[in-house]
Amino acid sequence: MSNVLRRIEIPIILTIIATLLQVIPYYINIPVINDTANTVNLWVLLVVAWATFIGPLSLMQVHGKAVQKRGKGWYFSVVVLAATIIMSIAGLPIAEVGLGTTNAVYQWLFTYGQTPLSGTMYGIIAFFITSAAYRAFRAKNIEATLVLVAGLAMVMYNAPVFTASWPGFRIIGQWIYDVPNMATNRAVTIGAALGAIALAVRTLMGIERGYLRGGSD
Amino acid sequence: MSIFDKFENLDRRWVYLLSWLFVLFPLIYPLGLPVPINKESQQWFKAISDIPDGSTVVFSPMYGTSGMPELFPMTLATMHQLWSRDIKVIVVSFWAEGPLVFTQLLAQMDPTSYGKVYGVDWINLGYIPGSEPAMRAFGDDMAKAVAKDYIEGKNLSEFPIMQTVNSANDIDLIISIETGTPGLTEWLRQWQEPYRTPIVVGCIGVSAPGMAPFLQSGQLSALLPGLTSSAEYELLLNRKGLAIAGVDAVSMSHILVVALVVLGNIAYFVNRGKKN
Repeated sequence: MSNVLRRIEIPIILTIIATLLQVIPYYINIPVINDTANTVNLWVLLVVAWATFIGPLSLMQVHGKAVQKRGKGWYFSVVVLAATIIMSIAGLPIAEVGLGTTNAVYQWLFTYGQTPLSGTMYGIIAFFITSAAYRAFRAKNIEATLVLVAGLAMVMYNAPVFTASWPGFRIIGQWIYDVPNMATNRAVTIGAALGAIALAVRTLMGIERGYLRGGSD
Repeated sequence: MSIFDKFENLDRRWVYLLSWLFVLFPLIYPLGLPVPINKESQQWFKAISDIPDGSTVVFSPMYGTSGMPELFPMTLATMHQLWSRDIKVIVVSFWAEGPLVFTQLLAQMDPTSYGKVYGVDWINLGYIPGSEPAMRAFGDDMAKAVAKDYIEGKNLSEFPIMQTVNSANDIDLIISIETGTPGLTEWLRQWQEPYRTPIVVGCIGVSAPGMAPFLQSGQLSALLPGLTSSAEYELLLNRKGLAIAGVDAVSMSHILVVALVVLGNIAYFVNRGKKN
């Protein structure tokens, strides 16, 4: 029996059924299939909700080992573990004992811990972009000059102080945005969509097995 | 070492220091630099203004704390415009931090000051896990995808606002403020295409070029990219807020980038001339 359950055809068949259930209602209106697809979509909500537990467990495992081994920067792992444990407990959805995302401790950590830290991490990008632009935008050859001109035009297009001082910055930037950018992004979008269709067809036919046991039979 | 050698190879720490000063100064001493109104913010303002009275919209904060510096101002401004009108708002997020972001909004904006009653004029359904399939499940049958609301923990059937809303067919507009996936493309696949629900998206500046084709094709009704557009939108609303406060820093940081690039290139050509 266990050998039958381990057969590779089973996950392939399940994948085919799940895929067809999502694809068919998109093109054909068959009430039974539509209802089944909707039910399967609801299952996904539960599966993902349960999968959420894997994240904290994995995080505890990795950082727990780091603390145990006292490797380089192990004290950062202590902070990670402490924050994870405190926020997990404070955020447990048990309103009767005052826990949950509206809990004062949870809200304090979120408002004065996570929010400014995340904002800072995002803000640091500005320093790197400025430094990178200064170094990369050099007119060393034709290609680099094109990048320099287009890059500077977009920088000026995005800054109100430039577009207010000369509307031409807006017109030039808008043209780059509407014509070369649009054409490139369309090509990328359509190319990616064709690739996704090809991958889906290969998966449906059981040819693509990268998601199964590392792809081997 | 000549001054041109220094300008050609400026130590990155000087660049960081200058960036810090150019951003910090206008935040402490606002300069009031001009902010011209452009078509993106006008389209956004019009899209919200054109929603007929009595309509129901889905408002989705699809971002976490890292997106707040750029997206929170437009979130506040849009909710201000929505709550100033007779529009029912269903708040729902497919990003785990979305409801927490909206809680921060409630700390700064009181719906009752707009005469809005929870459960009647607006409702917060919180976070629905499951990304794209969850968006589809929510569109097919909202009550099945969300058992209880986020704020009071009651069944959806207990709220008057949910009496006439069952699925995506009952929604007149999706307003998605987002930083990534799930986001626009998932809304397009699971709501806009099958249900023909119009969608407007507010996004971080770097996402805008990738979304532009959907705006041009008409699948996306309006796009509000980044802090500068948010500032323009605040001016259109005549309600200066966080975006106006930050847009001087945007201008100053961009002036610095242009100045550094120009100086770097002058130094490069002078030094190349010397070598030749």
